[in-house]
Amino acid sequence: MRIIMKFGGTSVADADRIRHVVSIIKAERARHQVVPVVSALDGVTEMLLDVADAAAKGDELAVETLLTQIRDKHLACAYALGAHDQVRPLIERLETLVHGVLALEELTPRSTDAIVAFGERLSCAMVAHTLGGVAMDGREAGIVTDDHFTEADPLMDLSMFQVREALTPLLDGNKPMVVTGFVAANQHGVTSTLGRGGSDYTATILGAALKADEIWIYSDVDGLMSADPRIVSAACLLSHLTFAEAVEMGKFGAKSMHPRALEPAAAHRVPVRMRSTFKPDHPGTLISESSGPAGPGGAGSVVRSVPMLKNLVMLTIGGASMVGRPGSAAEIFGALATQRVNVHMICQSVSEAGISLVINQNQADKARAALDGALRSRHLERTVELVGGVCVVAAVGAGMKGTPGVAAKIFSAIANAKVNVIAIAQGSSELSISIVVRAEDGPKAVAAIHDAFALSA
Amino acid sequence: MRIVLLGFGTVGQALARMLREQRETLAARLGTPPRLVAVTDSRGSAIDPHGLNEAALLAAKAEGRGLASLPGIGGSASSLRVVLSTPADVVVETTPSNLAMPRPALDHLLGAMRTGKHVVSVNKAPLAVAMPALLEAARHNRIGLAYSGTVGAATPFLHAAGRLAVGDRIVKVRAILNGTTNFILHRMFETDEPFNAALAEAVRLGYAETDPSNDIDGIDTAMKLVIMANHAARSSGRPAGVAYRDVRVGGIRGLAIQRVREAKAAGKAIKLIATIDEAGVRVGPEEVDVTSPLNTPRNVNACTFSMAQAGEVTLVGRGAGGAETATAIVRDIIEVTTGARVS
Ligand SMILES: NC(=O)c1ccc[n+]([C@@H]2O[C@H](COP(=O)([O-])OP(=O)(O)OC[C@H]3O[C@@H](n4cnc5c(N)ncnc54)[C@H](OP(=O)(O)O)[C@@H]3O)[C@@H](O)[C@H]2O)c1
Repeated sequence: MRIIMKFGGTSVADADRIRHVVSIIKAERARHQVVPVVSALDGVTEMLLDVADAAAKGDELAVETLLTQIRDKHLACAYALGAHDQVRPLIERLETLVHGVLALEELTPRSTDAIVAFGERLSCAMVAHTLGGVAMDGREAGIVTDDHFTEADPLMDLSMFQVREALTPLLDGNKPMVVTGFVAANQHGVTSTLGRGGSDYTATILGAALKADEIWIYSDVDGLMSADPRIVSAACLLSHLTFAEAVEMGKFGAKSMHPRALEPAAAHRVPVRMRSTFKPDHPGTLISESSGPAGPGGAGSVVRSVPMLKNLVMLTIGGASMVGRPGSAAEIFGALATQRVNVHMICQSVSEAGISLVINQNQADKARAALDGALRSRHLERTVELVGGVCVVAAVGAGMKGTPGVAAKIFSAIANAKVNVIAIAQGSSELSISIVVRAEDGPKAVAAIHDAFALSA
Repeated sequence: MRIVLLGFGTVGQALARMLREQRETLAARLGTPPRLVAVTDSRGSAIDPHGLNEAALLAAKAEGRGLASLPGIGGSASSLRVVLSTPADVVVETTPSNLAMPRPALDHLLGAMRTGKHVVSVNKAPLAVAMPALLEAARHNRIGLAYSGTVGAATPFLHAAGRLAVGDRIVKVRAILNGTTNFILHRMFETDEPFNAALAEAVRLGYAETDPSNDIDGIDTAMKLVIMANHAARSSGRPAGVAYRDVRVGGIRGLAIQRVREAKAAGKAIKLIATIDEAGVRVGPEEVDVTSPLNTPRNVNACTFSMAQAGEVTLVGRGAGGAETATAIVRDIIEVTTGARVS
C-alpha cells in the first residue's frame, strides 16, 4: 500500500517521542510505500508567532527570551538525537530573520510565514536525520500556493502535478523522505503557510496527488469518539465515518480534522485514518465514503457523535428596523468578517426581529465593537445583546437526513435532563442539529443525547 | 508587441520569416507592430529590447551557427533566464516536444505566466502532461494561454472541438493527427511497399525525423489526443480530466504489408486512428473504409466529430509544416493579446 503518515506536534514533542515516531515509520516502511509528514514540535508554532509579534513591537527582551527558549528546546532535542548539525544552521537562520523584523519593527504576513515555517523545518530535519532520510519542505514536495501568506490556498492542479512529479520517483528509493507539514511556497518560491488545516492539509494534498491508499493522521488519541470521554465515560470509538460526517464534526471542534484539510481526500476518495502514536496497532477511525459496519455509533445509527464546543458567547442583534429589510444579515457578517470573528452558529427567529450568533468568548469584545461601529455608522436602531457562558452541543450523523423524529427525540432527551435550550440550528446539509445551552448544562445535554441514541459502547 | 521566441528550428524560423514579410498586415491586426525581443535555441539566445533583425537571425542559422554567436546581441542566457528576465508581452514556445522530459518547456510556460506574460505553445509535451496545471496557472495569473498549433498546425481541429462541444455534445472523435504515419500507411497502400521502405521514403522526403519513434509508436498522436480531449472538456465547462497515462497507445512500427493488402482487398485502408469515445481514449492502427473522409492521402490529417444531435462533422487539412504552424502561432498571439483569455 501507499500511505501518507502525518505526525502532529504532540507526536514529536521531544527526542523520545521522535525516536518513537521514527520506529513507527520504519516498521511501516518495511511493508508499505510511506510519505511521512511532520508538524512542528508541540507548542513551537505559538512560540514562533509570539517571537514574531514581540519583534514587530520592538520588544527586545521578549525576543531574546523567546529565541533562547526556542533554541534550547530544539538543541536539547537535537543533541539527544545527534541532529545538532542539521538543527543549528536552521536556528541561526531563524534568529537572523527575527532580528531583521526586530530592527525594522515591521512584520508582514510574508515575514510571519518565513518565521513560522521554521517550526516544521526544524522538526522535519530532526525526524529525517533520525530516520536516515531526506528532509523536504512543502515547496520541494511540489506544493505551490497563491500569495495569501499565513492562510495560503494551494493552486491545486499545479500542486497535484508537481507533487506527483517530485515524489513519485522517491517512493521506491532506498532513502526515505520526510516532508514538512503546513509549509509551502508561492509560485515565485517565497515561503507561505497553509493556515487552517495546516499539516493535515499537506498530508491530504500529498495523498490525493499520489493516489495513496490511505492517509494516516497520528495524534495522541485513539481516534474519533462518539462524545468526549471526559463527559461520557462510556463513549465509544467510532471505527468508521463518512467524509461528510467528519467535516461536520470538524466544524464543532471535535478532535477531527479541519474541514478544509478533508477536502482533497474526499474529492479524490482517499480514506483518512485517525490513529494514535501510542497504540500503533490500533486501527483508529477510518474516514471514507462508507459508513462502515453496524453497531453502536456505526452504520444504522442516526446520530453518531455528540461533540460540544465550549467557551462561547451568544450575540443577539435585535431591533425593529431589521424586519423586512434585506441585507441586514449581510451587513452583520461583513462587519464580523473584517474583524476575522469566527461565527460558529447562526439562528434567526421566524419573526426576523433578531439574529443570534455564537462566537468564541475571546472574540466577544472584538465582535461587539465591530457590530456597534457598523450599526452606529448606519444610524440603525438596533440592540446588541450578549449572553456569556454558553456552549453548543451538536448531534452529528448522516443518517439524520430523511429520518423523521430525530429533532423530537433530541429535545425530549434534553427536556428530561432538565436542560433549558437557548437556541437551535440545523445545518442545511441535514447532517447535524446544534443547540445552544448554558455552559454548565452542556455535559448533561451531551450525555442525554448520547444516551437517547444508544451510542455507548 | 514584444515577443520572446523559444526554439528557432523549422517552426521558429517560419514564424520569424512571417513576421518579417508581413509586418504591416500583422501590425494592423495586432494593433501594434510585432517585435522579436529575444530568440533562443539550444545553445543560447539573441536579445534586443528594440527588436531583433529577423534576417540576421535566419542567416546565422542558415550558416549553421547558434544565436549565441551573433555579435552584440548573442549570448549564453538559457531559455528560462530569457523568459524570466526579458520584458515582453508574449512568450512563444517552439522547442522540441519531449514527453519523457517535459520540464524545461513546462518551466518556460510557468515562468512566463508568473512574470505576467501571455503564452503561446506549439510544444505538445507540457500540455499533454500538465494541462490542468497550466490552465490553473493561467487563471491564477490572469494570463492568456493558447495552444491551437499543437494539434493540426493551421487546421483548427481544437477550435472545432471547442465550438462543437459548446453547442452540442461530442459523443465520439476519430482522427488522424500524425502526418508522418499517414504518409507511410498511404505509401504502403498505394505502392505495396513494406513498412521499412515506406519509412525510409518518409525520412528521405523530410516527413519523418531520423528517430521516428514518437510518430510511429503513436506517442505524438496520443499527446495531441490528450490535448484535444481536455480542450473539448474545458470548452463545455467540464474539468480537464484526461491524462496521458489514461491513453492506450499503440503505433504502426513494423506493420505487416500483408495486413494492408488484406484490408485493401476488402475495400479498406489501415490508418493510425486516435479515438475518444465512452470506452476511453486510445491510439492504434484501425481499418477505415476507402470512401471514408478519414482515408486521407499522404500526410493529410483529418478529424471526424460525431455529435449527439448534429451528426458527423469532419475537418481535413495539413497538420504540420513550418509555415502552417507559424500561422497557428500568429492566430494564437492575436487571441491571447487581444483579450480572449485562456483559450
Ligand atoms: N514542425 C511542425 O510541423 C510542427 C507542427 C506542430 C507542432 N510542432 C512542435 O513545434 C516545436 C518545434 O518544432 P520544429 O519542427 O521547429 O523543431 P526543430 O526544427 O527541431 O526545432 C527545435 C528548436 O528548438 C531548439 N531547442 C532545443 N532545445 C532547446 C532548449 N532547451 N532551449 C531553447 N531552444 C531549444 C533547437 O535548437 P537548435 O537550433 O540549436 O537545435 C531548435 O532551434 C516542437 O515542439 C514540435 O512538436 C511542430
